[in-house]
Parts: sequence; C-alpha cells; structure tokens
Amino acid sequence: MLRSLGIFAAVSLAAFSVSGGAVAQPAGVFRQPHDLGYGQSSSMDPASKGKVFQVTEKVMSRLIRTGIDGKPAADLAMSWSSNAGATEWTLKLRPGVLFHDGRAFTAADVLYTLNRIADPKLDSPARSAVKTIKAVEAIDAMTVKITLHDSFADFPLVLTDYRLVMLPEGSGDTIARTGIGTGPFKVEKFDAQGTTVLVANTAYYEGAPKLARIEIIGIPDAQARFQALLGGQVDVLPGLDRQEIALVSRSGKHQVQQIPSGNWRGIVLRTDVKPYDDARVRKALRMVVDREAMRDLVVGKDGGLTGCDTPVGPADQYRWDGQCKQDIAGAKALLAAAGFPNGIDVELQVANIEPVWPTIAQVYQQQAAAAGIRVKIAQVPNDGYWNTVWMKKDAVLTRWAERPADAALNEIYRSTSPWDESHFTDATFDAMLDGARKELDFDKRRAMYQDAQKYLWDNSGTLVTFHVKLAVGLTARVKDMDAVENFSIRWHLVKVD
Amino acid sequence: MLRLVLNRLLLGLVTVALASAIIFGAVEALPGDACVAVLQRDAVGQRLANCRHDLGLDRPALTRYLGWAAGAVQGDLGVSAGSGRPIAALLGERLRNTLLLAGLTLAVGVPLALLLGVLGGLRRDGALDIVLSTGGILAMTIPEFVSATVLIFVFSIWLGWVPGIVVAAPGAPLADFFPGIVLPVAVLTMVMTAHILRTIRSSVIEVMASDFVRMAVLKGVPYARIVWRHALPSALLPAINVIALTIAWLLGGVVVVEKVFNYPGLGRFMIDSITERDLPVVQALALLVASVYVGVNLAADLLTLLLDPRLRTHRAGG
Repeated sequence: MLRSLGIFAAVSLAAFSVSGGAVAQPAGVFRQPHDLGYGQSSSMDPASKGKVFQVTEKVMSRLIRTGIDGKPAADLAMSWSSNAGATEWTLKLRPGVLFHDGRAFTAADVLYTLNRIADPKLDSPARSAVKTIKAVEAIDAMTVKITLHDSFADFPLVLTDYRLVMLPEGSGDTIARTGIGTGPFKVEKFDAQGTTVLVANTAYYEGAPKLARIEIIGIPDAQARFQALLGGQVDVLPGLDRQEIALVSRSGKHQVQQIPSGNWRGIVLRTDVKPYDDARVRKALRMVVDREAMRDLVVGKDGGLTGCDTPVGPADQYRWDGQCKQDIAGAKALLAAAGFPNGIDVELQVANIEPVWPTIAQVYQQQAAAAGIRVKIAQVPNDGYWNTVWMKKDAVLTRWAERPADAALNEIYRSTSPWDESHFTDATFDAMLDGARKELDFDKRRAMYQDAQKYLWDNSGTLVTFHVKLAVGLTARVKDMDAVENFSIRWHLVKVD
Repeated sequence: MLRLVLNRLLLGLVTVALASAIIFGAVEALPGDACVAVLQRDAVGQRLANCRHDLGLDRPALTRYLGWAAGAVQGDLGVSAGSGRPIAALLGERLRNTLLLAGLTLAVGVPLALLLGVLGGLRRDGALDIVLSTGGILAMTIPEFVSATVLIFVFSIWLGWVPGIVVAAPGAPLADFFPGIVLPVAVLTMVMTAHILRTIRSSVIEVMASDFVRMAVLKGVPYARIVWRHALPSALLPAINVIALTIAWLLGGVVVVEKVFNYPGLGRFMIDSITERDLPVVQALALLVASVYVGVNLAADLLTLLLDPRLRTHRAGG
C-alpha cells in the first residue's frame, strides 16, 4: 500500500512538472515522406544534385529566410544593409549560435559555404544562385561583406534560396553524411531509402522545437505515398489532386491546407520559329483563353489563381495584375493582320509528367477553336520529355516552381538564360530587367518589374494558365504547421497530439 | 541423364546471354540516359558533358556492352551509375528481401493450395469445390494492383489492423519488414494459391478416374489408403512445374506488388533503375532474373524425372 502510494506520488509529481513547467519538453513524432527523386545519389549536402531538401531544410539554416509574409526575414543574419549602388551588402550575424557538433557559428563559416557553392569544381546546381556574387569577406567574426558584380536591389531575396544554408567551415567532404547545421533538428540517422531520423535540437536559437522527432521516409511511388497518408503512416503529403482532396476530406482523420503558390502550369510556344515568331500570332493564341473557365475545369475554383501570363506568383510583391478577358474577336483580328485570316494550325506536344497537362491541352483546344485555331494534341512519352520535347518542339506544355519575381523573369524569358524555354530574344525586355535590378527605390522598382510583366503580356510566347494552390494533406494530429509555401514553414513550432 | 542436364545448362546460358543483350538494347533505345534522368532540367552544356564522361556514357554502346559482359563473366557486376556503390552489394540486399517475401508466400500458399486442391478434386462438384473454383478464378483474374488496393483500403485504412505500405530501407534488419509485409504476402498468396489449386484439382480428378484407382477400388483397398498411397503421388506430379513457375515468378521480382506496397525488393529495384537509366544495375538484374528462371525450370524438370519412373525410362531408352 505504502509502495503504491509512493508510485502514485511520483507519477503525479512527474505529471505536474510536465504540465506546470514553463518550457514543455519536445514530444511526439512527425513523419514525412520524400519521393527519393534522386534515388541512390540522395545526399544531405545541400549543394549537391541529390539533396533531400526535406532533411536539409530542418537541420540547416539560411542567412536570410522568407518570412510568413513572403518578405525577407532574419535568420542567421540579424540585419543587413547596402551601399548606395546596391553593389556591397553588409550582414550582421546572429551571435551565440552553435552548430550541432558544438562549434560556434561565425563569419568564417559564411565565407566557406558561399565560396564552396561558387567553386566550379564542385559543379553545384546552386552555383547559378550565387553567380551575382563577386567576393565575400569577413569584416570581423560577426560581420560579413558581400560584393556583387552588378547592382542588385533585391539581393537579400537571393540569400533566401533553400540551398544556401550555412555549413561548418571545412565540412564539405563530410556534410553529405553528417548533415551538421544550425537548424531546429539534428540528424540521428540518415537513410534516404528507408527512414531518416531527426531529433530536436533543444539549443535552437529561436526556441526548442515542440516535436521530439521527425522521421523522413523514402517512398518513390506516388500512389504508395498517398496510401501512407490515408493509413496514417505519414503525417503530411503536399500536392494532392482533386480526387485525393475529396478522399482525404471525407476520412475524418485528416485536414487539408490550400496554399497559394508561385507554381504554374502553361503552354509555351517557340518564339523563334514560324508562325510563332510573329508577336501578333503569339498574343492571339493567348487571348482566346477564358482563364477562369480553364482554371475551374482543370483544378476547380479553389485550385488556383489566374493572371495575365505573368510567371510572377500572386503573393509576390512585384506581381502585375492586368485585365485579360477572353477576346475571340480581338484574336481573330490579330491573326488576320498577321496573314492568317482563315485561322491557324497548332500542334501541341503533351506528356503526363504533370497530371493536369492533358486537361489543359483539351480545354485549350476547345476554347481556341472559337477563333479558328485548330489545335492538334500529340501525346508524347514522359520519359525524356525535358530532354527531347521541351525547348525543342514548337508548342509544348510546361510547368515552373515558385521563384522570386526577378528570378522568374530572368530565368524563363531572358535571352541569355539556359532555360529561356520560348527562345524569347528581346533586347527591350532584357534592358527593363537590368533597370529594375539597379533601382533602389522600392516603388519605382516595383513599377519597372510590373512594366516588364505587362510587356510579356503583349509579346511573350508563354501562356501561364494559372498559378496553382498547393493542397497539403495532413493527419488530424498535426497542429501549428504554418499554412505557407514550404520553405517558409517554421518547423520548430509544429506539434503533434 | 548427364547429357540432358548439360544440354539444358548450355541452352540456359544462351538464354541468359540473349536476355542481357535484348535488355541492354531496349534500355539504350529509351529516350534520355542516366545523366538526363538525374540532372533533369539541369541537363545542359558542360554539366551534362561532365556527367556523361564520369559515367563513361560518351563511349559507344557496343564498347560499353562488351566491357560489361567481360566483367560479368568474371563475376564483377560493376558499380551503379546512380550511387557509385558496387552492384553486387545493392543486389544482395534486395535479393534477400525478395527471398523473404517469396519464402513467406510459398510457406503459406503451397500447403494451402495443396490442401484445397486435393479437397476440391476429391469432392468434385460439391459445395466446397464450387466455392473454391469460383474463388480461384476470381483471385487469378483480378489484377494484383486491384486486389492490393482493396486490401490496403479495408485492412489498413478502414480497420487499421496492419500498415498499408512497407517503410523499411533495403538494408534494414528483417524484423523491420513486419508487420508491413502481411498485406503483400496476402496479395501474392491469393494469386499463386489460385493457380496451383486449379492444377492440382484437375489432376486429382483425372487420377481418381484412372484405371489403376478403379482397380484398387475393385480390390477393396480402403478409400484413405487409395488416396494417400496411390492417387496423390501421381496427382501431385503436374503441380511441380506450376510451383516451379510460381517460384520463378516470385523470385523474378513481383514488380507491381512491390511497387504498390513500396517493398524494397528486386522488382522495385528494377523499376527504379530503369527510371534512373542505371544501365549497369538493369543489366545485372536481367542477368539474375533470367538465371533464376532457367535454374528453377531446370530443377523442376529434373525433379519430375526423378519422381516419375515413366519419363525416366522413356528418356533412357530413347
């Protein structure tokens, strides 16, 4: 009797200290799948091709992060400022931050990380993200100066790239296996093909994580991932389609977040081949689209947000919102002026890489028919699509993931970009982008980026049908997960019941 | 007998060599290569050239095939283009997992099929036989991905009794595959039990109607003794070949089932390697699967020869 009383007292004491204590201990396990997109070359090196970002985003930190409002926010850098020409940027680093192995984070680590990514020998895909940087130097242990090749008023946005996370100095050869960073979680075991285990880093500078453990599970098959979500073997799965949203919403054990994103799906015409080398033809082919109807038919009313062929996402500070109602008469007139009074034939190459592509092509075929545009849909294999069809054939389907306005406009439309998918070569447009980059006044800069988007509406060969809302399926036990774009989620706040 | 075995072995080697050449040609013919598969949209310019050079993809296809074949003959399967790890090690892990899946399926399925097949055959056109035959046809004709999805839906999502998919890594300890392995074993057992059951049933019916059984009945041999001593040994012979084919099918990697259940065996390894254009791995897998088919079939033929005196004397005499 005495003994059981003692146990009772101990248990209630323990319960009291957990509930009554100021700081709750990290608790619970959150499980997340990843698609093992890089198979056996999967790695924890954030600069490598095979990076598993579901791991690196939780164990490493950037200098500047994207805040919940989409604007640059302090992370390992507490503050930043530039010279008058926006060519030199000075960053004040956060003091007292420790890497998972106990080493202190200093300016030397910043120099090491950025120079490593810029090194041509490493051949990192992230190198293009730092190509604006000319030199990085340490003013003192906690201050870094970054010199750029050209003025760039929005340089802080560059540093929010999810691959530009800070590594301990000299760790390049081991980082793929150790995953040592400054993030809210530490790597206990890395196993890309199986289960990678992360545990709470209670010394995290923004406060100890609420979760004790995160398991990242490699599941290559899309259907298997969805079954894992339905069966409660994983807690989160982004990118649900309409049928999946319906199933998950009915289960009673799940919740769905609908997140506006900068990801878009569209049709791209090569602007360097006939008849698409005529800007009037290109505009006519885009004017025939009833964008709301297209969106409703393809992903449903809540599935996306429409715009006027701008690649800039709806939430971006530089987004241009124009008027572009379906205009059949206008399209016919433009086609006639370009020498096609009897309409025009378009052969559209479609694969299934993106499940909505075939539907987009069919809706486009129907809508364009009204203006005498005869669309023929050619189904092509998924295998090798990016290599043999995209950027090669005259009219193809495309998709892009979210990026800041400057990156989207420069990477997708600038004549010198390796990803100028429409082969758009326009000196006026390139000059508009150069001007905007140099402009330090925010309002003026915004006006310039918006003018560039308006210019695309009149001239580009790219139909941006809609920006998708990302449907993220979660089990009901998940709490406090920010309903924002993936790389803005504050993982240390997520809880499970 | 020895000549027969040698003959069959030689034929088997030719089959394996042909299979590897055909697979190499087929994967070569697919658009894109290992570099394009890994780099995706980054597959442009110098980065693509570097990658191709590193993997030796800039050499002519014939040179690569011959180089690979020379290594394979000496037991060197090379390294994976995707990870740079030795293929033998990668293959070993998956082979072990596939053996586990196949072994459990056979352990459950073969006794079950034998029992039900014999019962059905002895009680021909009885209620049990009709139920078994109908069930067998259903289990055989419903595609695996359908039965797999239905089982996952019922037992994992509705009832929550077992996990819907396997989340163990290829090299994980065998214990990690439980209880996730229950549903894949159930799906495979359904399909293979149906096949074996139906063969045994018709063979039992045939034997029970044969002259020597009728003779035994007329001589007054007890029913149980007729069944056990005289009918079953003859009736089970045709099952050996069906079981052998089933084993080969299970060991060759049950691609659909492994994919649906995320099971890290040979089948999923094959699909993943083709997607990654990891030619050395695809080649090694083709070699392994072809060898398994040839080997198991050979073993089944020999076993039939040993158990059936008629075939043995016929061959020796001819």
